[in-house]
Amino acid sequence: MRTENTNVKLSNMYNMRKIKNHLASISLCFVLCAAGTNAQNGEALFKQNCGVCHKVGGGRMVGPDLMGVTTKRSEDWLLKWTKSSQALVKSGDADAKAILDEFGGVVMPDQAHLPDADIKSIFAFIASKSAPESVSASIDTAKKEVVPDASNNATPEQIETGKNIFVGSYALANGGPSCISCHNVNYSGVMPGGLLAKDLTSVYSRLGGDAGLQGILGAPPFPAMTQSYKEKPLTESEIAALVAFFNKVDKDKPNQLVNTTNPLSYGGVIGLGGILVLIYILWYSRKKVSVKKDIYNRQIKSI
Amino acid sequence: MDVRSQVSMVFHLDKCIGCHTCSIACKNIWTDRKGAEYMWWNNVETKPGTGYPTKWENQDIYKGGWEKNGDTVSLKGAGKFKGLKNIFHNPHMPVLDDYYEPWTYKYQDLFTAPEGNDQPTATAVSLVTGEHMDVQSGPNWDDDMGGSIDYARQDVNLQKLSSAEQEAMFQLERMTFHYLPRICNHCLNPACVASCPSGALYKRGEDGIVLINQERCRAWRMCVTACPYKKSYYNWNTGKSEKCVLCYPRLESGQAPACFHSCVGRIRYLGVMLYDADKIEAAAAAPDDQLVNAQMDIYLDPFDPEVIKQAKLNGIADSTITAAQNSPVYKFVKVWKLALPLHPEFRTLPNLFYVPALLPTMATVADGVYNTTSKSLWNGVESNRLPMKYLASLFSAGNTGQVVDVMKRLMAVRLHRRGVTVGDLNAAEISSAMNEVNMDKETADAIFRLTALATFDERFVIPPAHREESIEMLENTADVKGNTGFGFKETPARGL
Repeated sequence: MRTENTNVKLSNMYNMRKIKNHLASISLCFVLCAAGTNAQNGEALFKQNCGVCHKVGGGRMVGPDLMGVTTKRSEDWLLKWTKSSQALVKSGDADAKAILDEFGGVVMPDQAHLPDADIKSIFAFIASKSAPESVSASIDTAKKEVVPDASNNATPEQIETGKNIFVGSYALANGGPSCISCHNVNYSGVMPGGLLAKDLTSVYSRLGGDAGLQGILGAPPFPAMTQSYKEKPLTESEIAALVAFFNKVDKDKPNQLVNTTNPLSYGGVIGLGGILVLIYILWYSRKKVSVKKDIYNRQIKSI
Repeated sequence: MDVRSQVSMVFHLDKCIGCHTCSIACKNIWTDRKGAEYMWWNNVETKPGTGYPTKWENQDIYKGGWEKNGDTVSLKGAGKFKGLKNIFHNPHMPVLDDYYEPWTYKYQDLFTAPEGNDQPTATAVSLVTGEHMDVQSGPNWDDDMGGSIDYARQDVNLQKLSSAEQEAMFQLERMTFHYLPRICNHCLNPACVASCPSGALYKRGEDGIVLINQERCRAWRMCVTACPYKKSYYNWNTGKSEKCVLCYPRLESGQAPACFHSCVGRIRYLGVMLYDADKIEAAAAAPDDQLVNAQMDIYLDPFDPEVIKQAKLNGIADSTITAAQNSPVYKFVKVWKLALPLHPEFRTLPNLFYVPALLPTMATVADGVYNTTSKSLWNGVESNRLPMKYLASLFSAGNTGQVVDVMKRLMAVRLHRRGVTVGDLNAAEISSAMNEVNMDKETADAIFRLTALATFDERFVIPPAHREESIEMLENTADVKGNTGFGFKETPARGL
């Protein structure tokens, strides 16, 4: 019996050592692999989450060129900015405010859903792409990329199609919601749109022309829009038509009447009033107070 | 002929002393619970008076009951369109203030108040909110015509009387009142059942008791509005409506309902009536002046062999038919024609009948002189203290002749018994009164006996419940064979 017990103990010890060895090699491998794959993952994550608005070298789009940003800012600052730029601005960070002002108040969508490790791997990718010699070219001096804006030459039909898509006269091929349900543009012949999201009258110049808009419409970075179009993306031709339409709207902006009143809100107030009046008429003959009220009031008076 | 059986009731108003014992018996058994404090399934009203809830008889306010609609009837306050219109708000429903806010007193304050110069008082506390409250009214604030300007004068039934008649009624010499105890009428054409959107209300097949299934009730409160007698109440604690159950657990074990059992004046009678369910619609839609007669025609003669045969075909037990033959209600309502339904114009065909109070006069007032010399001991029924028009508004949908008829019968019995026991009346006077209503002495004696001397078993002829048969109307007993006695009954919790 005793020998058996010792054997069991021995084999247990042997197993423990084996497991420890395995664990050590696994964790070593993990660390090495992580170091090697960070930049690789980062590239994919960058394309997926940042590429719509940012480039690393090649000029600014909606957001700034991120070339060399990892050396210009501390990693801690960048993490805070990425997770919530608004929080950073509100905390009184002068740099953050300056960037926001420079980009016309276009707020970078919060990326708080990304784990820290992913964000850091994106930084690693940016750092690896930023060649040492180009670091001096900071984002502040980055020139806007000159891209041929095809929408300048759009046909009137294409603009008309874009308008129809915007107002919802044409259903989107993949069944996405029409723009007007959340957005407004000031353009003759287009009824006032939703006030849920930003006014798109000058979106063309604001968000970087053809390239910017195509990027945004292809893979919307704004949370509500991401959700709306995730399963129902816009097609190439729809994007082209919309970009042409936004270009036209932007150009015609000085010629449009500035419509500061929204007839929909008037309609809502008048409609509500109408419904209240109808309710008042329909239920006029209802029992309004307790039948005892008169009796009680008279008794109180006579005291 | 579709013969069914119905447990019906008669209240003899001449005997009611207004002691509210019935109300208390009911309260102690059924409504002494949180959320039910304000309910009085049995209440005693003073007439003239506004009743409980205040002005319940005025259907311009509460929109209860049925209204004639061609050859049929439709609900006054419910239905598809009206129901849809008021689906989120039932404007004709009585509010708590129309009943009264129930209260108790902080009796502990009498013991725990700190020493001071004043007597400690037990202040009133609402049983609904638990906050201090000023008591504004109660369920019988108009008792014995208390506050008659506010209550008796506002009796809805006075609207039928001219202002001169109303003044005469409130002259001191003529001023009178009688009591009107009320419970659920367990109607043949119940508006509460018809109005329930959840189908929670039903009329029991075996005895016609109208009940609310507490598990199916969804707190629509349409029954509260639809019942013209306002005998369905909403329990704000359980979120279910409740009503008089005619003490069916007592009935099933052969006992009279608590309010009947406890009645000090022995005014209450209970018995089975057989009726023809095929005639209900036509009777409910009869013109106003024929409503009472149309309802009387529904009730069948339990001695008629054809009725007995049809009753048996419908599964009515022999013991129930025997009970119908011995029913005191059948005698008062059909044989002697002394009892009338309350407010038949609501067209629900109520099964609670009232023998109206006679209240004769023995003197007249002319030019301020109180003249006690009259032609006979009592003046004729037309000069009774309560105008016939007023009673007709209560008991015969305005058909004065019907009430006068009942009064003359009651007077004939009274004259006959005066002749027997005192013997101071002119025989010719008695016989002319008897002949006028075609009543023989035996009938008069039988009426007297059942009115004044009836024993417990004569007043309450309760048929055996035959639960073993009635349960088969609802479910196949074989399905639950061997399961009886297991499982839990759900406690009514608010919501689903």
